[in-house]
Amino acid sequence: MSDAELTALQERITELLREPRALSKNDQAVALAELHISGNDRLAPVEQLNIYREQFWLRHTSALVEDFPGLGGVLGQRDWERLVEAYLLKEAPTSWTLNDLGHAFVEHVEQQASWLPHAKLCLDMARVEWGYCQLFSAPDVPALDGGKIAAIPEHAWPTATLVLSPALRRFQVDYPVCELRKAIVKSRDTGETVPIPQPDPHNLVLYRNDRRLFFERVSDAAYALLQRLDDGEPLEEACGSVASEIPGAADEVEANVAAWFQRWGAETWVVDVRTR
Amino acid sequence: MTARLGCEDLGIGVGLRVPHYGYVFENRPPIDFFEVISENFMISGGKPLDNLGRALDHYPVVQHGVSLNIGGPEPIDREYLTRLKQLVRRTNTPWVSDHFCWCGAGGAHLHDLLPLPYTEAAIARVAERAKMIQDFLEVPFALENTSSYLTYNASQVSEWQFVSEVVERADVGLMFDVNNVFVSAYNHGFDAYEFIHGIPHERIVQIHLAGHTNVGTHIIDTHSGSVADPVWDLYRETIELAGPVSTLVEWDDEIPDFPVLLAEAERARTVRDRAIAARDERVAQGGSPAPTRTKSLVPEPTGVTASDGAGWVQGGPREHATV
Ligand SMILES: [Fe+2]
Repeated sequence: MSDAELTALQERITELLREPRALSKNDQAVALAELHISGNDRLAPVEQLNIYREQFWLRHTSALVEDFPGLGGVLGQRDWERLVEAYLLKEAPTSWTLNDLGHAFVEHVEQQASWLPHAKLCLDMARVEWGYCQLFSAPDVPALDGGKIAAIPEHAWPTATLVLSPALRRFQVDYPVCELRKAIVKSRDTGETVPIPQPDPHNLVLYRNDRRLFFERVSDAAYALLQRLDDGEPLEEACGSVASEIPGAADEVEANVAAWFQRWGAETWVVDVRTR
Repeated sequence: MTARLGCEDLGIGVGLRVPHYGYVFENRPPIDFFEVISENFMISGGKPLDNLGRALDHYPVVQHGVSLNIGGPEPIDREYLTRLKQLVRRTNTPWVSDHFCWCGAGGAHLHDLLPLPYTEAAIARVAERAKMIQDFLEVPFALENTSSYLTYNASQVSEWQFVSEVVERADVGLMFDVNNVFVSAYNHGFDAYEFIHGIPHERIVQIHLAGHTNVGTHIIDTHSGSVADPVWDLYRETIELAGPVSTLVEWDDEIPDFPVLLAEAERARTVRDRAIAARDERVAQGGSPAPTRTKSLVPEPTGVTASDGAGWVQGGPREHATV
């Protein structure tokens, strides 16, 4: 068997191991196995191949269950399995790490919306759960340096830009997804049924602080300000834009910006301030 | 070649697994070293790296990988290797290991350890890459014999001949998994002692021991439960042949409380001490340190321990986001 023949065989086997059904009734799999795989007196060649197929599905479905427990809970076993099977058929895992397995899952949920029960909730949940996955191993950066902040002269603040933590994600969601996710995870131990919640549109910040993951609701003005700061707008300009764009936000920003900044620094949402 | 590529004997270790973090960091149990799954820590930040740091504060840590895909058609992933090397710098691991296997083709990564056909093409492919990887990482690199559930008609040599040829040609180490020898001997009907006697013992840098799950038609390498009695016998023989080699107990499914794992590690220590004593005794009497092959074991179909649903998750539960 040459190197090219080895490659061809591996490509063929890879395709077969991604098949969702047992290979014993798959004529192509049987033919390939008979030709290349030895078998023994307990297992036919195709049955040996099928052991690896079973492991492929077991491993990847359980990784998705770990990463999207809330979505699994919303959908229930049957719909969840249908969603996951379609995903793994469409998206071959390509990364060396299972942490990347869900990289296109949000998009997939969006594409499958026509048949999904509670489709909008499912999409909110998928976005937030993928956010948690990303936060979990996002880069570590030092917290805001108090000495550096104290040394910034008064006149430099209006044009300063704020650096947000790489372990922070913002979401606008229509359902209380984080609370629901918590309840679903807890219900696995208690066996309680968790009801589908009523819509409750809000802004959400997910973040990591001191190795733990948190979620927090924020006002429209605070959310918009975070968004503008994240886009690199200088502090004064960002506050001004938010105040003029969101009705009633001017007073809120004026009254809270100092407290927000203090809290966002303490919670490591803001990790650096850059002055011109 | 320096024996074991200069890798020192670290004694007896166990795999560092998520459910044990609390116990280990609080009690600092008497274990000689920990092994970590490299991929779990090839990340940019967060809790896993913090936990790794806490382990490194008190124990030697060796790295063991599961996703290298050394036998696949595509060239070795450079980004993967770069991250692996960054982790080597962080852990100061005395060696790095992965498996004799392939993990996928055509761009797919199946996160499994698929067996290779034992052919010249596969030997050449794996040996060339193993050498390159060892040079790149700048620490000894070892490959592990896997448990397998199929063999290929194209194979020209035995698994132990394949393994030996690759490590000799590449001048790399052998991570020798004694349980995998037993599992594959059962699944493919070869003599486990022939395997154990047929490899270059001076290249063994580390040994793995683990439990397995017998589903009747075949055994799955679940790393679940205690090490089986015939595997302890094979381990004793391996130590008599190779001398004192760092030994690690892997337990990744239905993970028990740490003291149970520690007891299993202590059993390994006892078996190892006795085997080293037997080896020393032979030398004292003017004989060769290595025993001649008198034993034979082609495991018979028996002792079903699970009917179905046995899964393989090397490295145990993943670290993942919980709130
Ligand atoms: Fe192993």
